[in-house]
Amino acid sequence: MSMLALGLLFGGVTLLVMFSGMPIAFSLGFVAIGFMYFFMPGSSLDTVTQNVYEEMASITLLSIPLFILKGAAIGKSDAGKDLYSAMHAWMQRIPGGLGIANVFTCALFAAMAGSSPATCSAIGSAGIPEMRKRGYSPGFAAGIIAAGGTLGILLPPSITMILYAVAAEQSLGRLFLAGIGPGLLLVALFSLYAAFRFRKEYRAAHAAYEQHGKRSAYLDEQIFTLRQKVEMLPRVLPFVILLIGVMVALYGGFATPSETAGLGAVLALVLIAVVYGIWRPRDLQPILLSTLRESTMLMFIIGMSLLFSYVMSYLRISQSAAEWIVALHLSKWVLLAMVLLFVMVLGFFLPPVSIILMTVPIILPPLKVAGFDLVWFGIVMTIVMEMGLIHPPVGLNIFVIKNIAPDIPLADVVWGVLPFVGLMFIAIFMICAFPGIATFFPDIVMGPGR
Amino acid sequence: MRRGGDFLTEADVAVAQHQGTGGESRGPLGPLARLMAGVHRVTVVFGMIALLVAAAILTYSVFSRYFFKAATDWQDEAAVFCIVGAVFLSGAYVQSCRGHIGIEAIASILPPAVNRARAFIVDVLSFFFCSFFAWKSWTLWYEAWVDKMTSSSSWAPPLAIPYGLMSVGMSLLALQLLLQLASHFVSGGRQR
Repeated sequence: MSMLALGLLFGGVTLLVMFSGMPIAFSLGFVAIGFMYFFMPGSSLDTVTQNVYEEMASITLLSIPLFILKGAAIGKSDAGKDLYSAMHAWMQRIPGGLGIANVFTCALFAAMAGSSPATCSAIGSAGIPEMRKRGYSPGFAAGIIAAGGTLGILLPPSITMILYAVAAEQSLGRLFLAGIGPGLLLVALFSLYAAFRFRKEYRAAHAAYEQHGKRSAYLDEQIFTLRQKVEMLPRVLPFVILLIGVMVALYGGFATPSETAGLGAVLALVLIAVVYGIWRPRDLQPILLSTLRESTMLMFIIGMSLLFSYVMSYLRISQSAAEWIVALHLSKWVLLAMVLLFVMVLGFFLPPVSIILMTVPIILPPLKVAGFDLVWFGIVMTIVMEMGLIHPPVGLNIFVIKNIAPDIPLADVVWGVLPFVGLMFIAIFMICAFPGIATFFPDIVMGPGR
Repeated sequence: MRRGGDFLTEADVAVAQHQGTGGESRGPLGPLARLMAGVHRVTVVFGMIALLVAAAILTYSVFSRYFFKAATDWQDEAAVFCIVGAVFLSGAYVQSCRGHIGIEAIASILPPAVNRARAFIVDVLSFFFCSFFAWKSWTLWYEAWVDKMTSSSSWAPPLAIPYGLMSVGMSLLALQLLLQLASHFVSGGRQR
């Protein structure tokens, strides 16, 4: 069988099995074993389990459940609400401060919890009602939270980046740092848009008041005293210290990334015990149970994706596909655009975990030949996958928003989110034009990359 | 379609807690379903403790190296064993809640009868895959046990431990799938 026919058969069977509704982990393993049986030496089937174990038993990959535990501990406490209240109070004087406070809170919480939908859920449940109470249009409020939540997979410690680091054999430390600049860029863009939109809606509310005498909540001013503001800090500061402490442990050379995951999880559990009194087994059970469910689901997908990639590589499908792309002699930026479009389409159907592990062996070699920095590309790819979390038809964060604010019509949420998709496109263009946005921090902290 | 989320809501947890082994706990499959529910309770508690132990070991690793300048030769591997054990042993529990995500875009557009057939075939294929994996895991465990295989680190723990956890976990997963498969015949449709 020619390589083209084998590649098409492999791709076709994979799509068929996946779209049958079979769990992603089992479908990847099933396809891998099927192709091993028909196209690889019989002995390869005897080493299937050893392959999966050896690929999975990497302490870097196995730090993922501990990062999830840290996120679940923080996500299930009231830390999100307290952080939100404090940000709201401290930013009240800035025009559009409430919207900006929501963006900042999402970014900080995402960095602590490391999960996009958890951020949406925790901050949105406090932020959306408050914004609507203050006159913000429902779509705008929903858009801010859905987009702010996506920062979870860009800012460190991001599970998506851990996988990319393993699959692309890039430094995890560099990737974590490379996410900070683009993360801050997105925070800035989202905040600017929030301020711009606030002014527009404020003017409209003002005009409506002058014409019809109908007073919108937009026109009411909420004042916090300095005492009120200071009183909000004690509950928030420990978590900000945790965030900084974990980063210092990692980059100060005190802990490896996996140790940072363990340390972060233990510190998060200690903090919620001290600050929120969450320490009894019955309080901890939902946190541990949700961590176990999510970790198991993810680790099964990761293990089987690695087996799938191994088969693709053994049969030289990934190498041939990569060579074929290189032989097209596309210009550097057309190649990048095609690759990102491919990732975006996959994002309609697959979680970032599978996209990374299945596509990286194919798309990275051509990008490397074209001269792209693979750490930089990891960041751009992550932003594209972030867009998958909020763009229709299946953006996960959109459904989280519908869950916490069911009375906002889906159309309003989608329209509210779309400007933020546009801002992410702008961010991608800016990072392409100025790669330093991503590479500046890792170069400063860890020296210039390879 | 079910997307790969990177979190679970309170509702998910509540569903997981109440769902047990799906809807198989009544009828002729009842005793087996209740037995599996009992097994899940044990494996989930083990998994929760293993996660906490792994986090504690890695934290200890940082402190012992920094404050006591102690060698950290066993911590990473011990944490790996804990997490591998937690993940594989709770695979069956997650399947009992249908928590292994898949692309279900087609499910929503197929007529109910065709969709039932699709769900049945999916469960059959999943069962065969997991059974095969469980069988090969036991073979690997047996080799590791007989040959007294150890890992290549200086700590050199026996590999039969993680291989054994993988084998038990995959066998339980295959059994859970068999139970869900049988429920197609008993209740006339997939339990979810």
